[in-house]
Formats: sequence, structure tokens, C-alpha cells
Amino acid sequence: MDALLTKTKGPSQLSSEPKKKISGSEGLLRCLIAEGIDTLFGYPGGAIMPVYDALYHFSDQLNHILVRHEQGAIHAAQGYARVSGRTGVAMATSGPGASNLITGLSDALIDSTPVVCITGQVAEHLLGTDAFQEMDVINTTLPVTKWSVQITEASSIPSQIAKAFYIARSGRPGPVLIDITKNAQFEMMDEIDYAPCEYIRTYSPKPELDKTKIKQAADLINKAKRPYLLCGQGVLLSNATEELISLAEKGNIPVASTLLGLSGVPTDHPLYVGFLGMHGNYGPNILTNECDVLIAVGMRFDDRVTGNVSKYAKQAKVIHIEIDKAEINKIIKADVDVHADAKEALTELLPLINSGNHTEWLEAFKNAFTKENDTVIQHDYYPVTKELKMGEVIRELSEQTKGDAIVVTDVGQHQMVTSRYFPFKNPKTNVTSGGAGTMGFALPAAIGSKVSQPHQQVVAVIGDGGFQMTIQELGTLMQYKIPVKILLLNNNFLGMVRQWQQLFFESRYSFTEMNNPDFVALAGAYGISAEKVSERENLQDAIKKMLKHEGPYLLEVVVAKEENVFPMVPSGAGVGDVLLEIGSE
Amino acid sequence: MKKDYTIEITAENNFSILNRIINVLNRRRVRIKKLIAHEDEHDFRKGGATLLLYTTPEMIEKVKHQLEKLIEVEKAIYTAGSGHYTELSNRTIEVIQ
Repeated sequence: MDALLTKTKGPSQLSSEPKKKISGSEGLLRCLIAEGIDTLFGYPGGAIMPVYDALYHFSDQLNHILVRHEQGAIHAAQGYARVSGRTGVAMATSGPGASNLITGLSDALIDSTPVVCITGQVAEHLLGTDAFQEMDVINTTLPVTKWSVQITEASSIPSQIAKAFYIARSGRPGPVLIDITKNAQFEMMDEIDYAPCEYIRTYSPKPELDKTKIKQAADLINKAKRPYLLCGQGVLLSNATEELISLAEKGNIPVASTLLGLSGVPTDHPLYVGFLGMHGNYGPNILTNECDVLIAVGMRFDDRVTGNVSKYAKQAKVIHIEIDKAEINKIIKADVDVHADAKEALTELLPLINSGNHTEWLEAFKNAFTKENDTVIQHDYYPVTKELKMGEVIRELSEQTKGDAIVVTDVGQHQMVTSRYFPFKNPKTNVTSGGAGTMGFALPAAIGSKVSQPHQQVVAVIGDGGFQMTIQELGTLMQYKIPVKILLLNNNFLGMVRQWQQLFFESRYSFTEMNNPDFVALAGAYGISAEKVSERENLQDAIKKMLKHEGPYLLEVVVAKEENVFPMVPSGAGVGDVLLEIGSE
Repeated sequence: MKKDYTIEITAENNFSILNRIINVLNRRRVRIKKLIAHEDEHDFRKGGATLLLYTTPEMIEKVKHQLEKLIEVEKAIYTAGSGHYTELSNRTIEVIQ
């Protein structure tokens, strides 16, 4: 049935020779190999055992990383995908195994990450009987997947796997879940001639570019006095960083980045003005409300970027270049909506752009930066307090790596400080949980990143709260000796929540202070080298030692308990109301 | 200002497609006044649903795009009012009978 609705390319299906029979499980693994998959992150269990049994014979072709929790598997697959642009694969059993994937699915959906999850399911005759570890995973995961399907017969495996990978990676990427009943895993099927999917009747991942819209966009940009370019993750996903930078350079347009767009433009580029959003840079926020043309590329105007939408860029004409049609006009009304792949649209737009001269406008960003630098940044970089501050730790990491590292962050204050201060140099070197804000993301995502890019330095910057949400993945680091460097910024608080409690709940610190374990001893229990630093004079050497260490390493830096991250656009305020410090206007 | 809209959805007739459609609406708290869903009379692999919704002009436009974003949905077309729903549902009921 499926062949009628999808188009595949590949070997002819009409061979007259009888085909060798293989199990559905073996068929699945052969499909993964044919898709170019070489790494799986997973955790076995009853309903996926036939696949794991088949995997035993494929260990030379498929590198399986045994994580310690299924959430770790999907975050690792996400990290793998984010730094490589390839599709990550996670595998789990039925019931709790599958439900443990849900946070990661939700994270991958909102952050447009191509991941294929394969879950085992009870045998078809047991569906709906409340059998052991039976859960309706398809309906449970419907809202958090780009697509999902349950397979109940082995012969469907090749076509559904082909569809899954095509859907996960094409258009706006996202997570796909394939639930395979145990009988289908055991069932024998013909040895496959795998044919990748390249068409689904009801799915149009590649919009046709409307050149009249490109012309309209070019006209607006060429007439603009204060154009402003925003780089979202769509730029990275479509490998359009060069085109975006060329557009900025040709039009002399300042460019800012969303959280997930970081690393799309090198932070030392003269036209790069900083990071957008609630804890972004001062100028990029406040000057959003002074630009006359806003060019948003591959982004979705998340509320952390816009603040109060009724106070967002009301004076500006908005050009929105976006591959996901449902994102256009969803939050911010576009004057010119370009429904297109970012690379294709920017390539078409570039020749139509005139050389621009926006000296005064660029000067406004410089002035705003000077104000932020004097009020916030220098105090973060070179504090006079006895206690260490997060900003100086990231400054030291930045100086020692010179931006030449993949940086994986968790969620909270450390994430915002790292996003503000790390000097991203190369595309796809920023891995973080954006839309979902998933604490516990960083450690497993760093594992996936390092497995994908073994020759790059991978540093996971994590707070003490998030670290303890997936801390069990230290076991994965230990077992596979994956040389991830963990920079733990420990303030013994859920820092961002505490900051909000201080600013908006009259300092009632309701259940945010943490009594933490001895993290160095804990790392030691996993055979991971570790050091704890709380004195400024030891920080530089400690980071040097961490970066030079050959295996996995934990550096715990004890930072000030009650540090606040500024600038800040308070919840409900507009980007023009960004605060540089407590009580500032 | 909320009012009635008839939305006609054509899709692959897969398990869970109706749930996917309903999820899009429920998540945005769009009120469903009436609903009829059916297999294509000529091809069981295709199907459709017609719904009478009560929502705002902005939301119906957003919902249309969210529905068309579903992999199995071919298209979602809406018209203001309930007249079209009555016409379509009567026709569907005739076919089923």
C-alpha cells in the first residue's frame, strides 16, 4: 500500500531469484545501515530484545552506545544531529522505555532536530490488553513528534524506515518515532533492496520560492535606513551561514542571533552585534524597536526573543524568511513573507541587494554595547567580589579555547552567561535546549556531540540543578571513555528560578536552594578525573588542566550563590524595556 | 470575534490521523461544534474529516496551517459559517448510507 503513496529510488524490485529470508529485526538494522547510520544510542528491554539480539551480529557496522536512561539516549541523538546535520537515532523498549523519550521528543520538535526513535512494542495480538509494559506510545507521543507510525508486520519495515528518515531530515527537521511490535521484529521477511524515500504525496518539505517576494524583500532592504538582520537556527540547518554573512556585508547590515542561531555568524565579525532575547545583549534588544526593516531568517519569534509582542518592532517592516509555513504570521505579522529554505532565499536575494552604508545605525549598536560593557560585561568578566562569577569562568574558557570548541549548555543562568560570552567561531558549535528549556539536556547531548565529532573539543557547561537530572550518564562516559569535558558551575541553587524569586517574588526563595553531593567524589566513583575550584587564582590552571586531559573530566567551579544574569527583559515587558541592572530603566 | 467556520480536511486514512487533527484543535482550545470523518468511498487509503469550529478569524487561519503541517494531511480548506458543513455532512451521510 505504501509504495503507491510514496516514491522510492533504488534497485529494481522485479528480480526473479528467490530472496533470502531475514528477520524483521535484521531488516531494520540493514535499513539503518543503508540510510548511512553508524551510531545508535539506546537501552534494551523486553519488547525490543529481538532487535538487540540482531544488533549483536552487527556490532562491526553499528556502534551502539548504551546509555543509562532513555532520556539520555534521545538527548545524545539530538547532540549527534545538531553538530553534524545528520539524523540521530535512539532506541528504547516499550512502556516506560518509550515514555522516557518524551521530553527529548518535545525538545527535538521545538528545536527542529532530526531524530528517529525506534521503540519496541508488545506483540500485535496483545495491543490494547494492558499487557506488561504495553503503552499507547503513538497516541502518547502524537503532540511531540513530527510523524510517528506503528509497524505490525516485518514487510512494512523498509518502506516505513525510509519514510521516517525522509520526514525527520527534510523541510523543518524534527523527531519521528517508529513503534515496532515484537511479532514484526521476529517475523521473517524477504532480504531487502532498501530504497530511500524521496516523495510523500501529502508532504511538501521544499517550498517553491516565490521570486516576487524576493524582489519585494530586496526593495525594502535597499530602501531601509536602519535594516536589521536576525539569524535563527534555520540558517544553520540549511547551511546558509555564508549567504547570511554575505547579505550582511553587502548591505552593511547589523546581524544579531537567536539562542539557537548562535554560531551562525562568528562573534568577532564586525557586523555581528550580539545575542537576542530575555538575557541577550542590550543593543540587539533595545534597537529592535528602532530598526525600519527587520529581516528574520530561519526563526520563529519565540516569546523569549520578542518579549511582549504588542511592543515588538511595531515601527518596522518585517521580512520573514522561513521554511515552515505555519510559523509565518503566527506571532509577528510579516510585511513580506518568504516561505522558503533559507539558503535558497538568501542566494536569490543577494544579487538584488545594493551596497549599503548605515554608519549611524551601526554606531547605535556600538554605543549600546559600550553601555552594556561598562554596566554589566566588565563586572562579569573581572568581578571584585571574593566569590567567582559565572562570567569570568566563561571568559577564561573562551580565552583558552579561542572559541574553537563545541559548547553544549544545559538550561538556566549558566546557559545564558555562556550564550552571551562564548566567542562562537564555527557553525554548529552551539548545542543547547532552546524552546523546551530541558534541564538535564547538556550531559547526554555532549556525549552525542563528542561521538559525532571525536576530533573536536566538546565542553558541556552545566549548572548543579540540571547536572543532577541526567547525572547517571556519567556511567556512559565511563563505559565508553568519551572525553567530554564537564564544566559544572555550582552555586548550590536553582539559579534562574532564584533570580526570578528575588526580582518578582520579593526574594521568597521557595525550594530553590540545594544541598549537593560531593561532585568530585561522585565523578571519582565513575572513574572520571575531577577537580573542584573555588578560588580565583586557581581557575586558569584548572581550566587548562581540564582542556588538556585526554579522557572525560569534571571541573566543578563554585560560583557566587546569588548572582543575577543581566541584561534582562522582564516577563511581559517589551524588548525596549530591557534592564541592565536591578531597578534600571 | 469568534464565529462558526467549516473546515474540510483531506488526508491519508492512517490510524491516528483523527487524533492528530483533534490534537491541533484541542491544544489551541478551539471549540469543535460538530464533526464527521470518513474513508474515501473510492480509495480506503484516503479519507477526510469535516468539522464545524467556533473560533476567531486569526485562529482559523493558524489552525489551517498547523493542520496542513501534519504529514498525512493533504489540505485543509475553511469557509465562514455552518452552511457548508451541513451540505458536506449531508452528502457524506448519503454516501455512507
